Formats: sequence, C-alpha cells, structure tokens
Amino acid sequence: MDIQVDLYAVLGLKPHATPDEIKTAYRMLARRLHPDARGESNVDERFLHVQEAYEILSSAEQRQAYDRGREAAGLVSPPALVVDHTLNYTALPRRDEEQVAYALLRIAPHPRIEHKRLPFNLCLVVDHSTSMQGVRLQRVKEAVNTIIDNLEDQDVFSLVTFSDRARVVIEAQPYLDKAAAKTQVRSIHSAGGTEILHGLRSGLTEIRRWRSVDRSSHLVLLTDGQTYGDEEECIAEAQAAGAGQITITTIGIGQDWNDQLMDEIARRSGGTSHYIDSASRVTASFRSCIRSLSTLFARDLILRLHSPEEVRIQKAYRVAPYMESLDLHTGTLSLGYLDIEQPQSLMLQYLVRAQRPGKVNLAELTFEAVVPSLAEREQRVTHRIEIEVVDGLTLSAPPPPHMISVLGKLAIFEMQEKTMQDLADGELEQASHRLETMATRLLSIGENELAKAALLEAGRLSRTGNLSPEGRKRIRYGTRGLSMLSKEVHGDQV
Amino acid sequence: MIKCDSCGKRHPENTLFCDECGAYLQAEEHQRTNPLAVEEVDWTEADLGVTGMFDEASPLPIVIRLSIADSGREIEFPVSKEITLGRVDAASATFPDVDLTPDNGLEKGVSRRHARILRKTGELYVEDLGSVNGTYLNGKRLTPYLPHALKDEDEIRLSRILMHVRFA
Repeated sequence: MDIQVDLYAVLGLKPHATPDEIKTAYRMLARRLHPDARGESNVDERFLHVQEAYEILSSAEQRQAYDRGREAAGLVSPPALVVDHTLNYTALPRRDEEQVAYALLRIAPHPRIEHKRLPFNLCLVVDHSTSMQGVRLQRVKEAVNTIIDNLEDQDVFSLVTFSDRARVVIEAQPYLDKAAAKTQVRSIHSAGGTEILHGLRSGLTEIRRWRSVDRSSHLVLLTDGQTYGDEEECIAEAQAAGAGQITITTIGIGQDWNDQLMDEIARRSGGTSHYIDSASRVTASFRSCIRSLSTLFARDLILRLHSPEEVRIQKAYRVAPYMESLDLHTGTLSLGYLDIEQPQSLMLQYLVRAQRPGKVNLAELTFEAVVPSLAEREQRVTHRIEIEVVDGLTLSAPPPPHMISVLGKLAIFEMQEKTMQDLADGELEQASHRLETMATRLLSIGENELAKAALLEAGRLSRTGNLSPEGRKRIRYGTRGLSMLSKEVHGDQV
Repeated sequence: MIKCDSCGKRHPENTLFCDECGAYLQAEEHQRTNPLAVEEVDWTEADLGVTGMFDEASPLPIVIRLSIADSGREIEFPVSKEITLGRVDAASATFPDVDLTPDNGLEKGVSRRHARILRKTGELYVEDLGSVNGTYLNGKRLTPYLPHALKDEDEIRLSRILMHVRFA
C-alpha cells in the first residue's frame, strides 16, 4: 500500500469519512467509471484507483494501518481527539439470552496538538439580594476582584448584579481599566429579593454584544436563593445560550437555592453546576471556572452512537471529570467541552444478543467537536468497539479492577438519582430505605463522611418526611463528585 | 438472567452491579468474610475527644512497626495521614495499604476493609471500619468508626490476627 497516495481524495472524501460515506462514494464512482457504463472496452485507470482505494478503506484493519502510516510520515495532521476504550470482557460466550457489555471510553485531546488559550468573553452574574448581606457579599466582591486581576487585555469582561432587578455594573469590554472596575465592584450593596431571570438576561445581552468565534463565551451565575415563577423562562434562556455557544456555570451558595433549576440551567447550556457550603469558597470556585475556561480544548463535543441490530444501548454516563447520566433519547450525546488537561470518560452499557460466533461490532462511535485552536475548527473522529463471540466460553477472570470500581460508584450515583425520584413521587419510605442502603455502599468504599450524611438524612426523612436542604445538596453533589481522577478511572499508574 | 442476592431484582447476564441496591453481583462466595464464632466481649466506651482536624502542618511522619504474632511477619511503614488494613480483593477493587492475605487473613476472618491507623494532631489512632469480626485494642473490642488513641507497645487484634505495635 502506497501511503503517499491520498486514498480519501481518490474517492472525493476527507480523512474522517464514516464507513457509510466511503461505501456511498465508492458505489457512485464505480457506477460512473465502470467500463460497461462507459461503453468502452479499455479499463479507465481511475476505475482501478477507486477500486484499490475502496479495498483498503473499507477494511477497518487496513484503513487503520494506512491512517497510522500517513500520520507517522507526517502526511496528514493527527486527529484532534484520541479515543480509547476498555471492555469488561473482550469476548463473550454465545448465548440465546441478552448479555450486558460495558465499555469505558476515554476521550482526550491529541498530545501533539499545541494548546493556546482563547481570549474570554466572560460575564459574572451575581446575586446581591438581602440574603447575601454581610460576609457573603464581601467574599463575593473579593472573588470578583481576583477575577479582574487575572484578566488579559484581549479578554472581554462584564459584571451584572441582580435582585428583583438587574444592573449592569461593568459593561462588556476588552482592555478593562482594572482600577476603575474595582471601584464599581465596591459600589455593590445588598437589596431586594431574588429573580434570576433578570440577571441571566442582562448577562447574556452583555455577552452577545461581543460574540465572536475568536473568544470563548461564558456566563457564571452565582446565587444563594430560590427564584419564583420564572424557572421556565430561565431554562429557555439557558437553552438559547447553549445553542449560541455560550456556556453557563451555576454556583449555588448556602442551602436555600433551587438545585434542580441550577443543574438544568447549566446542563441546557452545556456548562456545569457547583455547590459551595460557605462564602469562603467563592474565590476558589470562581478561579476554577476561569481555569477551566483557559484550559478549554474543544467545545460542542457530541457523540453519535450507532450499533447493529443485535446490540442496543441501555445506559450512558459521564464518569469523569464528574458523574452525570446522559440522555439517550436522540442517539446523540451532548458532552459539552473538553479540557486540555482533563480527559472525559464515559461508561456505555450495552445489551448484546450474541447468537453467532465471530466478531460483533458493538458500536460505531462518531465524535464531533469544535477545536478553536486549529485552523480546521470542526473536527470529526470515529471509533469502533468490537467484541468477540465464542462458542462455549466460560468467563473466569474478573473484569479489570478499575472498571469494577467505576461501576460500583456509578451504582451508588444511580441510587442517589432514584432516591431523589422517590422523593419527588412522594415515596418517602422507599427513599429512606434507599438512603440507608446507599450509606452501606458508601461505607464499603471508604466514603465515610458521605455515608454519615446519607444515614442522617434517612433518619430525618422517616421522622419528619423531609430531607434537610443542606443534606440534600451534600448527597447530590457529593455522589456526583465520587468520580475519580481520570488516571484512576482508567487504572493507570498514578 | 442473574438475580441480586440482596434485593432479588433480576438482571441480564454479566451485569456487575444491581441498579436497585448497588450490590456487586459477581462476588464469589468463598471470597466473603464469614463471621467467626462469637465470644463475649466488652465494647470500649466512646472516646469522643479525638475528632480534631488532621494535622497537615506536622512535618515528620511517625514510623510504626507491626509484628504479626502467628506468621512472625514484621511490617514497618510511616503514617503521614492514614493506613488501611485488610485483604486485597481485586473483584471488589479493595486495595488496603496493609494486606493481611499472606497471614491467612481470609481464614482468620479479616474483612477486606477492616481497620485503619490514622494520624490527627500528631497523634496516632486506630479505628475499626465496620469489620465483620471486629478490631480489638489491648483486648477490648472497638466501637466501629470511632478512632481510639494508639500508643507504643499496644496490641491490636484484627479478628484473630494479633499484632504488636512499636513506634520506631
């Protein structure tokens, strides 16, 4: 095989073409170039080239060898994303009934791609309602000042405060006069109630005034309270923000804020939500938001799932950097952004009907992402997961330990989600029982603090019929944080 | 189909964890810690004075040596924050710092996560981690999850494995 020849170009395709696209392109060209079709007896040389290209590219092994060869020879730029997977078993016994197969995926930036930080278009939207009075607001102001100190000239920054109304304290602008900005920050006083929608809208307006593909747009929303009556509109705003490539990070402080709404706002826009129990953590929390903005490698990462008829996907979770169950409705998973330093890990749970021995294509995965630091921003990478079906195989060796450990934590996470569902359905006894079981599982993996919180809340639930707002948040955000460093998830040496 | 031992829910073949109760579904029977014959023991009273913060500032780790009575094995290690004792079990991803499998830990009723030695404000403590057969300090059974002060020359017993503690 001659790696100097671009076989993809022969078929009129790009290197990340899917197997289906390759097949379609080949058929079309073959039909056109076939000697019979042309009514000529001599074979067109192009026809031979097309056939040769198809032969190599249609075989997964040969295509991979060809791609690697071209990459090694420096003939093509490497794919932006590197994807690898681990299976609980690489081979399954042939069985008439369905069997579970777990695939743990890791998605990381290609190590050879140089990372450069894009300027930000950042808006901080801060709750200054009466409940923020005193130390809390003071800490928030200090945190805002730290952010201002760390801005670079090209960064666009804006600050919005809200209570029942919103006020643009600092208008969106690059080349910020930092001293003047801090004077503005000092002028913030606490007053009024909490209406998130106003703050959110003003913040998004500021960001949209400077929207460009050369900046990463981000809104950070901090609140300590519940909003009343405008939840639906908040979610709609978040959805629209996400569609316009603006991500929203939500930070809830204290105990009284609405965790479901905050999670939903973050999720719809492709961002994340955080819980801090004390005002002293605001600075650290803001900083980590900014850090993750600076280390953003790709955004709008999506995964399209495709499996043959005998395989169906049952569940999908993100397991690192934090745990989350992913919506399988559309067959496409939205994965938000990818950090340069923190790969994402996913756990996919499949049901396989393995009735014939041989290779089964568990999944064809297509990842798409926007990588702002590359000339070709829109990147696509495909990855195939195969599993062997063997007649009369007995599975004796246990699955890889790191896989068991991840699945154990996911099981606890899932129990937490079910507990919250039970509570929403008014199944108090069930919820309390589940919390107790969860506490046992947490103890067995050494999560004593979280176990204690779960036990306390189980007791409170059976006595009073309610969880404490604080306990509820500790359990929700605590189990979500059970995920580990990516190295641990994949069993690498730490 | 496989059935969850603890809640009875049915799952497809090869499922690893029950999504109803979180139980591990592939545990092999012989790897479980079985309760040993129970003896009458006094439970030591709660020692509540020790729930301080970890002493992050204390620079020197305390080195301790454990001599295991029956096997004669000696293990020496520094305690900078905490050390867990138990049995390695890959199937449940349990990897304690001190593995008592070579000292017949399984036969002698040692749990996978049995006890830990931890350091708070410069002092050492021993804590039972809810083990099946208990942890004893100088002959007294410890209340699970309550740390007890550990001194030089103390005797710790994890189920039926007796060990001597020496501070180096």
